[in-house]
Amino acid sequence: MAKDRCRDPHREGRVRCRIEIAWAPEVSAAPVTVGDVTVTPRARALVVRLPQGGFVWNRPTALTVQQAGATRRVPVVDVTRLLQLGLLALAAALAAARSPYAERR
Amino acid sequence: MTDSKAPTLEEAVALLDKAREQAATMLETIFAAAQPGAVYGQPVGADGYTVITAAEVTSGGGFGMGMGLGPPSRPDGRAAPPAEAPQPETRHTGGAGGLGGGGGAMGRPVAIITIGPDGVKVKPVVDVTKVALAGLTAWASMLGLLRARRRARNR
Repeated sequence: MAKDRCRDPHREGRVRCRIEIAWAPEVSAAPVTVGDVTVTPRARALVVRLPQGGFVWNRPTALTVQQAGATRRVPVVDVTRLLQLGLLALAAALAAARSPYAERR
Repeated sequence: MTDSKAPTLEEAVALLDKAREQAATMLETIFAAAQPGAVYGQPVGADGYTVITAAEVTSGGGFGMGMGLGPPSRPDGRAAPPAEAPQPETRHTGGAGGLGGGGGAMGRPVAIITIGPDGVKVKPVVDVTKVALAGLTAWASMLGLLRARRRARNR
């Protein structure tokens, strides 16, 4: 009965009753060619598979630009996320600096 | 007399299995957000420039189900005590089951990619509201911490 509850209907004979958290490898989207430039967008996803649910966080990582025989990688930076994390880090650093433990030292 | 419309245990389990399969199909749709095509938009061309949007995509969901059956009925129509072992062809006096689930998806623009005569450029998209909210939260937390420390010193 317990095995029945864990059965994955999409994988015959396989049982999934555990949590799977995995960073999927960076994958490429369809390349876009404009003139002599070919741009291949790349993305990476965090996939969390639960027995009866799941979660996906997919974000762009970089572009591969091919032009005149040369290939270069252009990163896609999430400025909003960086600013949010920066503010969080600043607040944490100020809180640590003003803590009684830090003042005693 | 037994009710011929009452489901057997096997029928109820088969029904739940079907519902579980449908829920798994729904989950596979959620996991489709892990494809790179979900992050990058279709290229749009105008005035010699081609623009591609890049967004962060988050999706999630889950479901749950449960089922319960009443005690098996006796041939005289009365319910048997719970301790009695169910017979293979026994009909149950009642039961209930339920299935529920939910899910959602969210997208946030991260950058705009332009391909033009001046090359390939990645222009970041800054969500001012999110940054301002993060700043306000950090400032309010610091203020609360300082007040708490002042109060502790005055005691």
